[in-house]
Amino acid sequence: MTMNSAFVIEVQHLTVSYNARPALLDVSVNIEKDQLVGVIGPNGAGKSTFIKAVLGFVKPDLGTVRIQGVPAQQAKGQVAYVPQRGAVDWDFPITVKEVALMGRYQQIPWYTSPSKSDWATAMEALEMVRMEEFADRQIGELSGGQQQRVFMARALAQGSDILLLDEPFAGVDAATERAILDVLERAKRSGKTLVVVHHDLATAAEYFDKLLLIKQRLYAYGDPAAVLREDLLSQVYEGRLRIFKEVIKKEGAHV
Amino acid sequence: MFDLFIAPLMDTYFQKALIGGSIVAVVAGVVGCLVVLRRMAFLGDALSHAMIAGVAGGYLVMKLFFGLEAHAPGMLLGSLIAAVATVALISFVSRISRVKEDTAIGIMYTGIFALGVVAVSIFRHYIHIDLMHFIMGDILGVADTDLWVSAFVAAIVLTVLIFFFRHFQLATFDPIMAASIGLPVLLLDYALTTCVSLVVVSAVSMVGVILVVGLLITPAATAYLLSDRLDRMMILAALFGVTSVIGGLYLCVWLDSAGGGAIMLFCTLQFLVVLTVAPKYGLLSRWVRLRNLIPQQVVEDVLTTILRHEKPTPRSVIARYVESGKGLDRVLKQMIEDDLLIQSGMDYALTGSGQKEANKVLRAHRLWETYLESIGTPEHDVHTTAHQLEHLHQGDTVEYLDEKLGSPTKDPHGKAIP
Ligand SMILES: Nc1ncnc2c1ncn2[C@@H]1O[C@H](COP(=O)(O)OP(=O)(O)OP(=O)(O)O)[C@@H](O)[C@H]1O
Ligand SMILES: [Mg+2]
Repeated sequence: MTMNSAFVIEVQHLTVSYNARPALLDVSVNIEKDQLVGVIGPNGAGKSTFIKAVLGFVKPDLGTVRIQGVPAQQAKGQVAYVPQRGAVDWDFPITVKEVALMGRYQQIPWYTSPSKSDWATAMEALEMVRMEEFADRQIGELSGGQQQRVFMARALAQGSDILLLDEPFAGVDAATERAILDVLERAKRSGKTLVVVHHDLATAAEYFDKLLLIKQRLYAYGDPAAVLREDLLSQVYEGRLRIFKEVIKKEGAHV
Repeated sequence: MFDLFIAPLMDTYFQKALIGGSIVAVVAGVVGCLVVLRRMAFLGDALSHAMIAGVAGGYLVMKLFFGLEAHAPGMLLGSLIAAVATVALISFVSRISRVKEDTAIGIMYTGIFALGVVAVSIFRHYIHIDLMHFIMGDILGVADTDLWVSAFVAAIVLTVLIFFFRHFQLATFDPIMAASIGLPVLLLDYALTTCVSLVVVSAVSMVGVILVVGLLITPAATAYLLSDRLDRMMILAALFGVTSVIGGLYLCVWLDSAGGGAIMLFCTLQFLVVLTVAPKYGLLSRWVRLRNLIPQQVVEDVLTTILRHEKPTPRSVIARYVESGKGLDRVLKQMIEDDLLIQSGMDYALTGSGQKEANKVLRAHRLWETYLESIGTPEHDVHTTAHQLEHLHQGDTVEYLDEKLGSPTKDPHGKAIP
């Protein structure tokens, strides 16, 4: 294995299409270690597709994705994933604790049961997202933000260095958004790289170290100030310029 | 008593039915849990119907090529092939065309069922299959081979499901995560459909084509109402399967009715009973919960009334200030249970946490009064409006008011804001 570069995710000429319509076209980007990266772009831009390609879940038509030097299809389990809300069945008979334990499944051989230390890791992960008191609840009996945090605990329990989150802030209130962001930042400090799909341009600059702007093609990747530029945004989000002017002004005030 | 319960047990046919039925019910219940959770019930139905073509095919092949009449293993193999072929055709059609899966299932299984029916009637001089038997099943006529086949199937299927329990659980709950940690999701899908086919094939001779899907999903659905964990749900489903077989067989002997029908009838009744009385997801408990629901507003009114009274408060005083209709006693009882109140003699006093809650509401009330005053609300409206608004104190509302009003210490009536 070659660990020559500082890049943990290397994407080269990535092209993915559904039924002959490309969702991603020739995307090349290298993501560094220990970053909190925000993926932004309008609906249908291919953000979820990008995440799934990094996960090795959709097969690229062209191009490669390497995770720490290994092709994504072979790097099973090095990347943990927090699904977009609504991707699972909330009536499934499963408790919060068991969902967190799922993060350990890859490490448990098929012929044994989960050990005490697996359960301990799962509980630790729940503590990290402050959900330990809900451990025995059925997963559907939580609020949206709490469910989101349980899935983050599962991703943390996986122990992988790379976390992908698809819209963790969708439909949660301001307090929960803070709580989730806090977990993200702590994960980053413990040496993880996080790639997060995000919808709110107004907070993007404040939350993330790097931004990745896509709409089928890669428009920009880099520091928030370099990505949140009026000309780029107006190309990607056709027309709604006035709003962006404010975003950019605010951004100017921050820096 | 003896005649009713013990006498049937003496008969060999009853014993065989009991053993065979229980084996099938256990494994059908366990697999059924995954069928229910994956919303595959319709597929189970399809498989059982498609089998008739396989049975006819197996019969014909064995008879024409080997000269064996009604060769049971041949027919079983035929039905298994038919079931697997149906599944393959369904996924092929739904994958390559825009036809959705449920429609593809409907098309394929009726088509293959029809093929079976036509084959049986064309070759009626060669094939001596009683379609009626096939459709209704005959649990009281279970043959030894059927018993062996079902025991064998049960052993295989249960082994697979127990060893790969976590795999099936994760692949059902979150297939994307399952794939991301390298589980063979597609292979697991096929393994599960094969298990379902095996179970269906081994159960059809006992309960018949139409009822077999009931044995697959009803016990599982019954267990679903009682359990929040997949492993417990599977154990309960197996249990309910067995009780249906036992209950149904006795029904069948007592009423002298069709065996398969009696089993499914018992199974369905069992479901309805659980649906009514289940502690968490049952109708009765939902009704009770709704009835016992105490409006937060009433609770808060009780709290502030006692706080304003400043000493243990008799019920009559509370009743004067709190509009709660007849339900006041229930409210007070619930509040004592929730550790907001304590009862001393005839009077009610606040506990520590009750005191805290009450102060919160009172603070909201007085801040709202100050606010209303400041926007020029007529004086006689201030108290009543604030009384309505005081229940809005979640989140940052109150702090926002406080900040906006410059953290006042006294309300318009000169009372301290806690
Ligand atoms: N399973 C699928 N089959 C066919 N087309 C798909 C499929 N999934 C996504 N697409 C298409 O690919 C494009 C990119 O979709 P994707 O889900 O990646 O967008 P997104 O940026 O995540 O959008 P959103 O903000 O709404 O989540 C869209 O045009 C979508 O219609
Ligand atoms: Mg998306």
